[in-house]
Amino acid sequence: MSAQLNSHARPRGAARVGIGGPVGSGKTALLEQLIPRFIARGTDIAVITNDLVTAEDAERVRRSGLIAPERVLAVETGACPHTAIREDPTLNLAAADELDRAYPGLELILIESGGDNLASSFSLDLVDYWLFVIDVAGGDDIPRKRGLGVLQCDLLVINKVDLAPHVNVNLPRMVAEAEEVRAGRATLLTNCARGDGVDAVVERIAQEVLFDR
Amino acid sequence: MLRLTDIVGNASDPDIADRLHHIEHDGGVERVRLSRNDLARRRQRLVTDRGTELALMLDRGAQLENGSVLLLEPGRAVLVMLDEPQWLVLRAAHAAGALEIGYFAGNMHWKVRFEADCLWIALEGPREGYLKRMTHLLARGDATVLDAPAQGGTRYLAVPHAH
Repeated sequence: MSAQLNSHARPRGAARVGIGGPVGSGKTALLEQLIPRFIARGTDIAVITNDLVTAEDAERVRRSGLIAPERVLAVETGACPHTAIREDPTLNLAAADELDRAYPGLELILIESGGDNLASSFSLDLVDYWLFVIDVAGGDDIPRKRGLGVLQCDLLVINKVDLAPHVNVNLPRMVAEAEEVRAGRATLLTNCARGDGVDAVVERIAQEVLFDR
Repeated sequence: MLRLTDIVGNASDPDIADRLHHIEHDGGVERVRLSRNDLARRRQRLVTDRGTELALMLDRGAQLENGSVLLLEPGRAVLVMLDEPQWLVLRAAHAAGALEIGYFAGNMHWKVRFEADCLWIALEGPREGYLKRMTHLLARGDATVLDAPAQGGTRYLAVPHAH
């Protein structure tokens, strides 16, 4: 077998980052905050959204004006959303491959899952890195419930932190419990309605899969 | 940061093993230890046992395995080693208990293997978390938790060695 030297390599294909989480936790809102930030930093990006039987989220992102509409592909899962990102990610793999072919300089594909439950997770055949978005309004006991998504994601995002005092949530305790069940893996706080905390999410993704620094 | 995009080969290949052997004698082999889960990742940031930062960017079809060689050049090599998983071992008390435990583990998408009347669950997080999820099954005696087997560590990698 011949060996080859490979210390001056360039990336092949875009990095693929998954965004999962329960219905209404703010996945699309996070996506809408991430897109302009990555574009502003010069990252060549595209998006895949997953919905049950519509292209609702894709249409929302296309209409947003944040990104060229043709760079947003919709996958209609037609079943439990986690099936399309874990058990059989064929449709999403095909969509990501299509984007890689269409845009040779593509650096990052953000793949938003359909809203699901706390047990949803991404196959590492589909993504290189994945986020799980929960929100304070869903209850501060979510980390304690030890859902697969909360436990195994690379980055846990706790969204809508501004609502904590209005829904009687003890945010510091929620964060501490999240860090405990995740054995110290990364957790970040956001308010995606205003964009608070999103820069840190961008920085984390850039560091882990774009290898910026 | 060293950017790597290829799996050069495997340390079990005699030609590569021979080269690794010589590089090892010169102190040039660096190792990265990966969990079984992380073996599935095509793109990830890694740090070798000597502190070298790696940016790994493999083709989508590439598959890391124990012994994968990521760099092989005069005087220097980077080798992947699989960290053995930690296991939680349960012994079913009876057939009905085995069904319950098996169904539950599948429903939780846990990675398992079977040995006789025992179910081995590969831990991907704190052991206590798994036990808490099965409190109801353990409380009613469907299964008992056995003492943890010999803890994992890094799997031994057989590299042919001439002396």
